[in-house]
Amino acid sequence: MGNSVLVFAEVKDGRVKKVALEMLSEGKKMAEKLGGDLSAVLMGSGIESLAEQLGQYGADKVYVADNEVLKDYTCDAYAKVMADLIKANEPAIVLYGATILGKDLSPRVAARVETGLASDCTDIGLDDDGKFTATRPMFAGKAYVDLSFTDSKPNMASVRPNALPVSPPDESKKAEVVKVDVNISPDDIRTTVKEVMKTAGEKPDLTEAEVIVSGGRGMKGPENFKLIEDLADVLGATVGASRAAVDAGWRTVDDQVGQTGKVVSPNLYIACGISGAIQHLAGMSTSKYIVAVNKDSEAPIFQKADYGIVDDLLKVVPVLTEEIKKLKAEG
Amino acid sequence: MNVVVCVKQVPDTESVIKVKPDGSDIITDDLKYVMNPYDEYGVEEALQIKEKFGGSVTILCMGPSRVVETIRTGLAMGADKAIHLDDPALEGGDAFATAKALAEALKGIEYDLVLCGKQAVDDDLSQTGQTLAELLGFPHASLIQKLEIADDNKSATVHCQVEGGLAVLDVSLPAVLTTQKGLNEPRYASLPGIMKAKKKPLDTKDLAALGLSADSVGCAGSKTIITKMTPPPERAAGKVIEGEGPQETVPKLVQLLREEAKVI
Amino acid sequence: MNIASYTILGIPNFVLLTIAIIAALVFFVNRVRHLYIVLRIGKEDDRFKEPGERIKAVLKRILLQICVLKDVTRNDLAGIGHATIFYGFLCFAFSYIFMFARGFIPGLSFHLLGGAFAHYFPLILDIAGLLVMTAVIWGLTRRYIVKPPRLELSLEAVLILGWIFSLMLFHFIMEGFEINTDPHEMPTLAFMGAAFAGFFANIETTTQEALFVASWWIHVLLVLGFMVLIPYSKHLHLLLAPFNIYFKSREPKGALVPILDMEEAETFGVCNIEEYTWKQLLDLYCCAHCGRCDINCPAYLSEKPLSPKDLLNDLKVHLLEKASFLLENKNGGDEETKEYEGPSLIGDVISEDKIWACVTCGSCIEQCPVCNEHVQKIIDMRRYLVLMESKFPSEVQVVFKNMENNSNPWGIGWATRADWAKDLGVKIMSDDSDVDILYWVGCAGSFDERNKKISTSLVNIFNKAGVNFGILGAEEKCCGDSARRIGNEYLFQMLAMETIEILKNYNVKKIVTQCPHCFNTLKNEYPQFGGDFEVVHTTEFIMDLIEKGKLKLTKPIDKTVAYHDSCYLGRYNAIYDAPRKILEGIPGINIVEMDRNRNKSMCCGAGGGRMWMEEHLGKRINEMRLQDALDANPNMVCTACPYCLTMFEDAIKEKGVEESLAGKDIVELVEEATA
Repeated sequence: MGNSVLVFAEVKDGRVKKVALEMLSEGKKMAEKLGGDLSAVLMGSGIESLAEQLGQYGADKVYVADNEVLKDYTCDAYAKVMADLIKANEPAIVLYGATILGKDLSPRVAARVETGLASDCTDIGLDDDGKFTATRPMFAGKAYVDLSFTDSKPNMASVRPNALPVSPPDESKKAEVVKVDVNISPDDIRTTVKEVMKTAGEKPDLTEAEVIVSGGRGMKGPENFKLIEDLADVLGATVGASRAAVDAGWRTVDDQVGQTGKVVSPNLYIACGISGAIQHLAGMSTSKYIVAVNKDSEAPIFQKADYGIVDDLLKVVPVLTEEIKKLKAEG
Repeated sequence: MNVVVCVKQVPDTESVIKVKPDGSDIITDDLKYVMNPYDEYGVEEALQIKEKFGGSVTILCMGPSRVVETIRTGLAMGADKAIHLDDPALEGGDAFATAKALAEALKGIEYDLVLCGKQAVDDDLSQTGQTLAELLGFPHASLIQKLEIADDNKSATVHCQVEGGLAVLDVSLPAVLTTQKGLNEPRYASLPGIMKAKKKPLDTKDLAALGLSADSVGCAGSKTIITKMTPPPERAAGKVIEGEGPQETVPKLVQLLREEAKVI
Repeated sequence: MNIASYTILGIPNFVLLTIAIIAALVFFVNRVRHLYIVLRIGKEDDRFKEPGERIKAVLKRILLQICVLKDVTRNDLAGIGHATIFYGFLCFAFSYIFMFARGFIPGLSFHLLGGAFAHYFPLILDIAGLLVMTAVIWGLTRRYIVKPPRLELSLEAVLILGWIFSLMLFHFIMEGFEINTDPHEMPTLAFMGAAFAGFFANIETTTQEALFVASWWIHVLLVLGFMVLIPYSKHLHLLLAPFNIYFKSREPKGALVPILDMEEAETFGVCNIEEYTWKQLLDLYCCAHCGRCDINCPAYLSEKPLSPKDLLNDLKVHLLEKASFLLENKNGGDEETKEYEGPSLIGDVISEDKIWACVTCGSCIEQCPVCNEHVQKIIDMRRYLVLMESKFPSEVQVVFKNMENNSNPWGIGWATRADWAKDLGVKIMSDDSDVDILYWVGCAGSFDERNKKISTSLVNIFNKAGVNFGILGAEEKCCGDSARRIGNEYLFQMLAMETIEILKNYNVKKIVTQCPHCFNTLKNEYPQFGGDFEVVHTTEFIMDLIEKGKLKLTKPIDKTVAYHDSCYLGRYNAIYDAPRKILEGIPGINIVEMDRNRNKSMCCGAGGGRMWMEEHLGKRINEMRLQDALDANPNMVCTACPYCLTMFEDAIKEKGVEESLAGKDIVELVEEATA
């Protein structure tokens, strides 16, 4: 069994996802500790040029599986490439980003090579004996567990985006590019992609949104929801509303969050001008982080909020939009 | 169409989760158990398939005797029969060990489709469906938002959530599909349904009946081991950000969201 | 004038009269018999116990006309008109015995009952007749010119009123002719008769004799016709209202009828008219379309599709329409049960929107002169929809699940129920059950930020008064009021039985509740499942503490306060005075009453599970009720119910009147006044 680290470098829209760079940065440290090398896998069609970037971020070797059949992600094809590589190279550790794709692919690969997988980790590392450990949340973050692995190799983990830092690239560094023969005929793929419908611009439904910006009675009128929409745009968030705003006719009932509306649990919920009546709280209190902006410091929403600003939302929201725009521009 | 729905019993999402002082597990005394919410979408979808194509719906559930209540919930919604895997040796397994037991239980039954919730809200693994598919040798599609079975019942068209959109896939059957919010609105069991559920066939199988050895399943058969459980770091109760006006408060908020909460 | 021996075309009058009476009786009896058979289609219901109380109710409501006089107001004096016609008719009914008897027995007159009777009774009749005619004209004027909102412009009403008017008119005409043709027989106190006699005086005596017979005949036919008309019209209430009042429920007003055999029954609730009990069907016969229910119905007033009056009438029309099919199938044996192809009860006859519009405020029942019981009928249909079909407004499903999983409608973790009391040093029963009073906090008081403040105030009051009390803490569950009123009897009974078990285990004797819904459920509905506890509402309990001197309201509160009667405290449990007395005892408070108050108080819109449903149709009930309050010009609305407070405060914010009007619970005012 080897002592190398293998990172699955997910590509999206012709770019390597940031989480892959995070994995490389962490993988580099582990490979050094283990005395092995760090390799990355690139899959897709016409993606070979991306190998260079992976090298700069620490990959010693980049396996490139460049084939038309890999253009659209299918688990059948991707899992086969991954499993074959693992079987051939016997890495000690395999890392994925816990993206939708990573979470779909990794269990299948783990099962095929009959090894363990720690999914959706918030931290990974090597203990003093050089054994791979992972930390991951359970019960929606109400408990965390440390995991160790049995003897079956490799140890696999999918790690949440933004959980680990990206080390600065070394532009002088170049990875060895290893082309992978892809022996997959379209018939091997039992799930054929007919179409990918982009919801670019279109926001995910409230119940599925990662970030929600909601407005309530404090919005004062429908015209001010423009402020909320602008903020939502920069955050890639979906706009919600309290019952009061819907009752007032400022938003449609589809936008209503609460007991009688939609029950949501995004990572971030920004409540603007919402006092936090229990019927609203019942619909959003499982959100991971809640931000409240309200003039009334006594508003019950502040009891639930992780961060609150007691101020006029009409002044706060535009500044917030600008600040986040700045942040996004920095990358 | 015969559909099997894998169902897990989990603590209600509103439960207060307390970790045992020794970090081995959570304290289970005061927990209210319910059907894993993502599995409810699976049950509902299976019932809708049955209503359209006929066939049967089987609930497959693993766990101690308390899970029978959850199985009955599924039967009350309209499932026809259930298989209950109940053996102390099955406890504490990771997704691999669990999927192994589930795959074994599926041997010898006829089915065209297996539905699993996208993840269980207790361990939040999001692995079992895919692992089960691999062990069964079937294709899978996860996070489905829409499911249309072809008239010949040999394939299905599914809409899967992917980053930034939906992928439309043709999946050959049998297959494992993982279900989530947005797929349907799970029904509320009618009272006659609840009453009938008490009389529906429930096949309880222990390890011997499954023909598995104790070291291949449960904690012993797992590839990952929980070494320690800890409560999450204390989150400071509601920080009101102090400062003169938005120019001061907003940058502070953004910094907290980025560095402390890590949500933007 | 000897009417009995008078002949028409050679046929003696008594023969013709006999034929007329028989003919009328055939129509009348036939119809009544049919109605009776149809009634018997309904399910069994034991409404026979306590006959003494039942008779008392009938006498009070009918003989004293309390049924209509109880709600006479400055704006609606119709009750007086009804009582006038009723008492007038009683007199005439007595005179009709003589009128008919004279057709058979020659020489029969009022003298049979003595000279004084013969002397004065015609006077009484004339006065009565005149009053009835006045009442009729007034009634017609009201109905067709003033047009009060509760009345419809039906032809049937004109026919009936016209008929009554004619009856009176022909009494006078007949009297007039009789005076002229039989002057010795008639005393002169019948001033109307005398006036008509004077008017006819110039007509030849023989012609007058014939005209007398003719008017007698017309009168007789009018009476017989009226008799026939009764069972075919809304005036069936003349005949059946006494029965309906007699069979009125003797259960507590706030208690819905339980489904007792949940495990065994095959169907639940009502989706076919014949699944109602016979008493529920009798209600349909008795409705007189007076519309008192409508004009006090929050759903109707807020322009939702529900009208309690139409509900009953539509059910009646449907019942009679479906009856022939049902009777045929019933008699035809069970060879082959045919499907009824007419309209379906739920959907066609009564739309689902109507069924869900009801706030179960009980005002329709309260105002109904003939004691119709509307709410249970709606609940029965809800039970069918919920238990059999799982059909209900979509937002309700999460409420049911929340109650199942976390024992509260919001689905907040059940283990956190007593968190509000953490720092207050309140005894939890599981730690120490040596208490005099169990304070039942309720879901709102436990979880809702606003209502938690009220729970805290109440704890402070208890402590001040030295009350030894405890709470169930995490063992407390939703009382099940909303579940039951939405129609989920199964969930309700589960919650109720679990709670009763817990209460019994702690040997609880006396319970104080702040929420009127919990109060009503625990007090009136838990006994159905063996939970007999003394249940007291906070307002009564606080009043008692004040009377015993344990609590002194000393600190003035300078506010003009309008007290809003919660349906489940007021109408359902007749607690109107305790809260008002408490407020009167607070120095500085100036109490104003809203127009709709006490038993006519209007629901806040949250009852009957409506708290958990969206209000998509019509106007907002809470905003209408707020307008009632604003019209009374207070600067504070005081409630004694968490739902009412929530609805009021929502409406206050919605209308943007926070500056001028505050919402407070009475408990908060008491705490403030004892500070």
